[in-house]
Amino acid sequence: MGLAPAAQRRIAVVLADVLGEPLDVALAVAAFLDGYLRRVPFEAALGLRVVVWAITWLPLLFIGVPLPVDALSPERRLAYVRRWSESRVYLLREGFYLLKAISLMGWGAQPVVRARLGLGPMAAVRT
Amino acid sequence: MTSSGHAPDFVVVGSGAGGATAALVLAEAGHDVVVLEEGPAVRDEDRGLGTHDAFMRLFRDRCTQVAVGRSVIPMLQGRCVGGTTVVNGAIVWRLPEDVYDRCFEHPLARELLPLREILARMDRIERDLSVAPAPDRLLGGNGTLMKVGAEKLGWRGHAIRRNVLDCQGSGRCLEACPTRRKQSLEQTYLPRAERLGARVMPDHEVRTIETSAGRAVAVTGRRADGSPFRFGVRRGVVVAAGAVHSPLLLRRSGLGPREHVGEHFHCHPGTAVAGIYRDPVRIWEGATQSYEVDEFRHRGFKMEVVGLPAELAGVRLPGVGDGFQRAMRDFPHMAVWGVQVRSDAEGTVRERALGDRAAITYTPSQRDMALFREGVRRLCELHFAAGAERVYPGVHGGPEELRSPDELGRLDDLTLDPRDWSLMSSHLFGTCRMGATDAGEKGGVIGFDGAVHGVRGVWVLDASFFPATLGVNPQHSIMALSMLLSERIV
Repeated sequence: MGLAPAAQRRIAVVLADVLGEPLDVALAVAAFLDGYLRRVPFEAALGLRVVVWAITWLPLLFIGVPLPVDALSPERRLAYVRRWSESRVYLLREGFYLLKAISLMGWGAQPVVRARLGLGPMAAVRT
Repeated sequence: MTSSGHAPDFVVVGSGAGGATAALVLAEAGHDVVVLEEGPAVRDEDRGLGTHDAFMRLFRDRCTQVAVGRSVIPMLQGRCVGGTTVVNGAIVWRLPEDVYDRCFEHPLARELLPLREILARMDRIERDLSVAPAPDRLLGGNGTLMKVGAEKLGWRGHAIRRNVLDCQGSGRCLEACPTRRKQSLEQTYLPRAERLGARVMPDHEVRTIETSAGRAVAVTGRRADGSPFRFGVRRGVVVAAGAVHSPLLLRRSGLGPREHVGEHFHCHPGTAVAGIYRDPVRIWEGATQSYEVDEFRHRGFKMEVVGLPAELAGVRLPGVGDGFQRAMRDFPHMAVWGVQVRSDAEGTVRERALGDRAAITYTPSQRDMALFREGVRRLCELHFAAGAERVYPGVHGGPEELRSPDELGRLDDLTLDPRDWSLMSSHLFGTCRMGATDAGEKGGVIGFDGAVHGVRGVWVLDASFFPATLGVNPQHSIMALSMLLSERIV
C-alpha cells in the first residue's frame, strides 16, 4: 500500500503547509511517506493511508468547502490544517499527529533541513 | 518443514536481555544451546543510520506497535539479535530494596529469590558489561542542564549508570550504537555463548512449543523467508520473547494457566517536556541518556534526559507552517527530558484474530495520570531552574508554552484524560508473571523458579515474569533474574 503520484502531490501541498517548507522538500517527504506505507505492517499502513485520504478530501467537513485540499487557497489550507491539529476529537487530532510524526522522519532526513539545523549527516560516522 | 539434525539440550526463544543471559549461563554449564531470534542480525552497516532506518530494521512491527485503550500508546520493543538492549539508552539500574519488596512479597519468592542473590548476579553483570556512571564529558548540554536544575532545586539526581565501554557520545543509542561502544547483548553475552558452542539463529520466529506427556519436546516456527522449521529439545525451552510475545507463544501452545497468560500487562508510560535555552544545548552531543533525577521515584515517577533527534523532538512542538519552523529553529537550543511513571494500571496481550500482530489493551489509571500531571509540572520547574527561557509542556488543552516559573500554576489544571497526552512506553512487564499455583487471583503463569505451571521443561525468563511494575529501568533486573534462574535450571 503506497501513495500514487497524484496522491503524493496532493499531500505534499499539505505537508508544505504543516512543515513550513518549500514544495520540493514537501514532495520529497511525500515520496518518503509512500515508501513508509509500503514497508510497515498492513494495519499501520491502513491507518496512515486513511488519514492521508481524509486530510486530502475532507475540507468540506471541516471548513465547508467542497474542494480537495490542494485546491484551497493558502490561507484556507492553513486554517484547515489547524482545525485538524487542534481538533477536540481525539482520533482526528491524533490522525494529524500520526501524519506529522511519520512525515518528520522523512523531513529530518533531508540534507537541506539537517544543514539548516546544524546537524551532521543522517548516517553516523563510525569510529 | 526443516528439522535440525540433532536436538539441542535447550532452545532459547528470543535473544534480548533475558534470553541472551539464559543462553550464556546454559552454555557456560556445558549445555548445547540454540537461540532462535525472530528478528535479524545486527550488522555494522545497520548501525547509526537514523531513526527511520532503525525503526524499520531493528524495532518490533517497524515501530508501529501500540497499546489501545482510552488512547493509543506506542509500545517500543527491539526485534533483532540482542533485542531491546540494542536500541535502548544503555541505562543500568540496580534493583532497589523497596522495588524488590513490592515485587517479591510472597514468602516463597523471598525464600527462592533472596535480594542478596539477585544483587550478586548484578555485580557480575556490571563487571561483564563495563557498567559505570556517565562521566561529565558525556553528560552533554542536555544532561548538564538537568544536573544544574536538580542541584539548584536540591533534588536528588545523578549521572546514569550505563553499560558502555569508551562511549564516544554520538547520541545515537536508539539506532544501535554506531561505534559499537554500547555493551548490548549482541556484542557481549551472545558472542560469549557462541564461543562456548551456542548457536544464535536470527530470522527464526518460534510459533509453538510442542509437548508430549506434559513435557516440552520441540519448537516449531517459520523463518523470515516463510519456510517452516522444527527443533526438537532434550531438556527444555526457555521462553524469552518479551512481555508481548512470550504470552502469545504460551497461549498458542496451550501452556500455562489461561486465566493469567497474557493478563496483568504493566508498563512504564512516559512523556517528554522540551525547554529552550539561551545558549546552545546541542542535544545530539553526549550520551543519549546521561543524567536522571530520582527525587520522586518513591512517589511513582522518575525523570531522565532523553536525547531525541530533531525528527522526534519536533512531533509535539506547537505550531504549523511558520510556527513549526520557528520552533524548530530553536532545536540547537533545546533540552528534552522525560518523565516515566510507575503505572498501576493493568492491560492484556492477545493475538489478533487476523494477522500476526499482538493486540495490547491498556489504559493508564487516574492515579497514573495524576502522576503525569505532577511529573510534567516538576519537569517544567526543573527546566526553569536550569535557566530555560521557554518550556513546552506538550499536553493538549494546556498552555502551549510557559515563559516563567510564575506560570507553573497553569499546569495544575491539566486534564487527566490520557487522550490529551502524548505517551509512549518501552518497559513492558507482567504478562507471564511469577506466582504460586494456588494463589487464585494473585496467581501467576510461572513459579518462582521460572518454570511454567502445569508443564515440564518450559521456563519464562524475560520481563514478562515481574509480578509488579518496577519503577526503574528494567534491563538489569531482567538479566539478573534470568541469570539466577538459569543457574538453577542447569
